Amino acid sequence: MGETDQLKNFITAIYPLQVLEMEAFLSIWKPYQAKRKTLLTRAGEKERHLYFVMEGIQRVFYTGDDGRDATIVFTYPPSFSGVADSFLTQTNSRFFCETLTPSVFLKTDFAQLENLMKKYHEIEHMIRIFTNHAFSGVLHRIVETQCFTAEEKFKSLFARSPHLLNLVPHKYIASYLGVDATNFSKMLAKIRI
Amino acid sequence: MKYMTEQLLDDLHNQVEKQISKAICEWQQLPYDMLSASPGPGRWSAVQCLEHLNSYGRYYHPQVEKAIRQNLHKKPVPFFQSGWLGNYFYSLMLPQKDGKPSKKMKSPKNHQPDPLPDPAVVLHEFINQLETLGTLLQQASHIDLNQVKVPISIAPFIKLRLGDVFLFYTAHITRHMEQAERALEAWRDQQYPYLKKLVKTA
Repeated sequence: MGETDQLKNFITAIYPLQVLEMEAFLSIWKPYQAKRKTLLTRAGEKERHLYFVMEGIQRVFYTGDDGRDATIVFTYPPSFSGVADSFLTQTNSRFFCETLTPSVFLKTDFAQLENLMKKYHEIEHMIRIFTNHAFSGVLHRIVETQCFTAEEKFKSLFARSPHLLNLVPHKYIASYLGVDATNFSKMLAKIRI
Repeated sequence: MKYMTEQLLDDLHNQVEKQISKAICEWQQLPYDMLSASPGPGRWSAVQCLEHLNSYGRYYHPQVEKAIRQNLHKKPVPFFQSGWLGNYFYSLMLPQKDGKPSKKMKSPKNHQPDPLPDPAVVLHEFINQLETLGTLLQQASHIDLNQVKVPISIAPFIKLRLGDVFLFYTAHITRHMEQAERALEAWRDQQYPYLKKLVKTA
């Protein structure tokens, strides 16, 4: 299997590209590996890269002045990763992005993608479809954070991504749900029974 | 013993990766009464083993972090040569050649766990510590493991090379994780004796 096959399958399922566009799009990606707990992006820096996740789990998170962090999103294969808003607008990121398990990616940078989007309307269109999905996901998450109890949020996350529970430290799931880590463990014990 | 520095740090990082995978993928999912079950009178439960390890992490992690931060000018070298004392401590932690745990040792009083620590709190700290250890091992690639020294917990006036500290500290974690694993197996055998028979006949 070629190193970009997974990426090709992923975009084909959502927005199939013609041969020429597909070739151009796949040509801008390079393999990249990172160990557990590697910071990919720091708050205050511009997100220069877009990642396609082939292995591992990552998270984008915000750190408050009191040192507490809020996990905004988890990413895992097959999907894109990185701080999306900072990447698309090329402004400084307010968030951090880090690996939570050893990870394997394909990686490209803004200049190369921008170049292709200017040249090929179809590629720009495909990127728009992906941002539409992301935008819809964000609105959905806002509803969950405002209207759901911690337990309901957990059940909703568990329905979408059941594997997370076995693969990442539970404190990150707690930070996604907005509950204290030890309270989360207690909630989990209750739900299991 | 003489090690190639890069290889040594890689091997240690892989060991820690195995340890943390076990803690996250297996132990995090276990019921608390299983983690808290003592395998016999005077023997530690799994969670007590982990609390024992946590008590060392509370000492060593800040020490190692400080040693790295203050010695960034001591640039890495290709080889690490272990000292005689460091090597001795390391050898004490290793299992015997047949894989069985080496001689029992009595823990210093301040590292003896409470009889019933809270499993959620202990496991949470244990996983945090392993994450930190992995990061420290990566940071250590920027400094000289021979020249940078860390005071040891039982006798702070003795300082060992950072490479030796990483070696015995990581082996110590494996030693007690294996002990925790035996405590969990004892619980399984007690709760589900027929499982043990099945495994034996298979």
